[in-house]
Amino acid sequence: MRVLVTGATTPLGIEIVHQLLANPHVDYVLAVGLEPDAVAQSCTHARFTYLPLDLTRARAVHDLLFGPARDLRIDTVIHGALHRSTQATGAKVHALNVETTRQLVLESLRHPTIRRFVHRSAGEVYAVRATEPNLIDEDVPMELDPRAPQWVRDRVEADLTVCAQLGRSPLSIAVMRCAEVLAGGTGSQLWDYLQSRVCLRPIGFDPMINLLSPEDYARAIVLAARSSATGVFNIAGADTLPLSRVVRHAGRRDIPIPGPFLSPLYRLRRRTIGLEFRYDLSSHRFHLGGMLDGSRAARELGFLPEHSLWPAARTAPAPGFLN
Amino acid sequence: MMLGSQFRDEGFGYDLFGMHPIGVERALRIGLPLYHRYFHVTSHGNSNIPANGGAILVANHGGILPIDAAMLWIDVLRWTARILRPIADRFLPLLPFANTLLARAGVVSGTRANVRRLLEQGELLAIFPEGVSGPAKPYRDRYLLQQWRGGHVELAIRHQVPIVPAAIVGAEECWPLLARMPVRLFGVPYLPIPWTLLPVPGRIAIHYGAPIDLHRRYQPDDADDPAVLANAAQETHDAVEHLIARGLAERAGS
Repeated sequence: MRVLVTGATTPLGIEIVHQLLANPHVDYVLAVGLEPDAVAQSCTHARFTYLPLDLTRARAVHDLLFGPARDLRIDTVIHGALHRSTQATGAKVHALNVETTRQLVLESLRHPTIRRFVHRSAGEVYAVRATEPNLIDEDVPMELDPRAPQWVRDRVEADLTVCAQLGRSPLSIAVMRCAEVLAGGTGSQLWDYLQSRVCLRPIGFDPMINLLSPEDYARAIVLAARSSATGVFNIAGADTLPLSRVVRHAGRRDIPIPGPFLSPLYRLRRRTIGLEFRYDLSSHRFHLGGMLDGSRAARELGFLPEHSLWPAARTAPAPGFLN
Repeated sequence: MMLGSQFRDEGFGYDLFGMHPIGVERALRIGLPLYHRYFHVTSHGNSNIPANGGAILVANHGGILPIDAAMLWIDVLRWTARILRPIADRFLPLLPFANTLLARAGVVSGTRANVRRLLEQGELLAIFPEGVSGPAKPYRDRYLLQQWRGGHVELAIRHQVPIVPAAIVGAEECWPLLARMPVRLFGVPYLPIPWTLLPVPGRIAIHYGAPIDLHRRYQPDDADDPAVLANAAQETHDAVEHLIARGLAERAGS
């Protein structure tokens, strides 16, 4: 397997590159990122090349695919170059999130060597509503509300752009809708939320949250790259627990307050302190939860999460009442 | 059966739907005195409840708050040591506090995917096919089954599990509905005005009928046949209606 990885300079991209290089079935990794040599410094490997590239430039993407990628006989693309900041909006952000995805998948369709396309999507593309199940499978409606922030809209559009090509050509496509990875630099809203010492949440609600570790995330992507299974796959993490417990495990103080106050308070906090966390992106989840159902990925990709974010807490014995 | 063996801990003491052993214990601690001393619940035919494996308990529904569902939950736990998973209406997740308290005790929002997962796990579900139309009916219509939806038979046939009919007699008099106010709050379709400020003490009798083995008569694919579903739903409707009639007759005779 010879793999092109986009978004390779992000923490998750770096983890994917490392897992690919540790895999004996991977012959070569061509990594692409915006930074000049971030990955190259951390990884010197005979089977590895890093190319700094601005993927928002259509010509650069074309030249990458029909230049180095063709010369290196790349057969698999793992695409995950998405803007991570929720504050970033506008045409340039949309170009990276959506137009680059569109170009990559369309040009992969007619590429002489690429046969597999893995798109790193996110669980945020789903609409979280009371009428939808606690467990979100791949058939749950997507968030198509035009009032949704660009961060969500772009992810939905990129996801649908790739889904539109499913089954239309010999290119085998996997869309990986992953649960939230609780790690810095990944665009995780929950991570940004937990950066405050005091975490406010809606009073009267304590929904179940599912979290994915960076190791499991990368392992799922590598499994998808190696598999020939096509379609959409939800990737759930090993940790399922109430929001209040997440806050507690992160060593933060959990203060429930009436829901209507949360949005203005977090907006004020963002403007004064400059936090990345946007409550409007998470309000549905903070009320209703919404966890990904990873059954299909378990069945067809053989993926089961293994790494807990809080292994010590997991080993705590269950209360004795039921026994 | 050990209760703990039914509890699928996801690693932090909660199951996927938020059930928590301490939540079950608290609900039981609050509910048991009501069960014994306030509503004087009697149980009939509880040997019909399967001791293990997936099954659907189907019952009538009435009263302002789901007192009937709460007493059924305790009764099943008491006699079979199984944690019943009542399927609630879809507005439940929008209700502050109630959503968390009920989820910790095992109540699950009634979406198809949630129910499917529970049955795949071999859980015992309680479904009230009347939905909101049961509690919303006027007092004069007590024990008259309202609109009987067929989702439960579809699930039973598709997942090949038995249906246990049940009738709850006495709950409708405990806290009858005086009027409905057309106020839509937290997704609740109306605001109930009760006859009394609090539920009145009474006697509730729960009657369980023999399991209806739709799964022996139909294949999973039959769950797509509207005629099969209509007939099966009529069968469960008639079984519950028969149990209600028996319960009312026994109450009148006692």
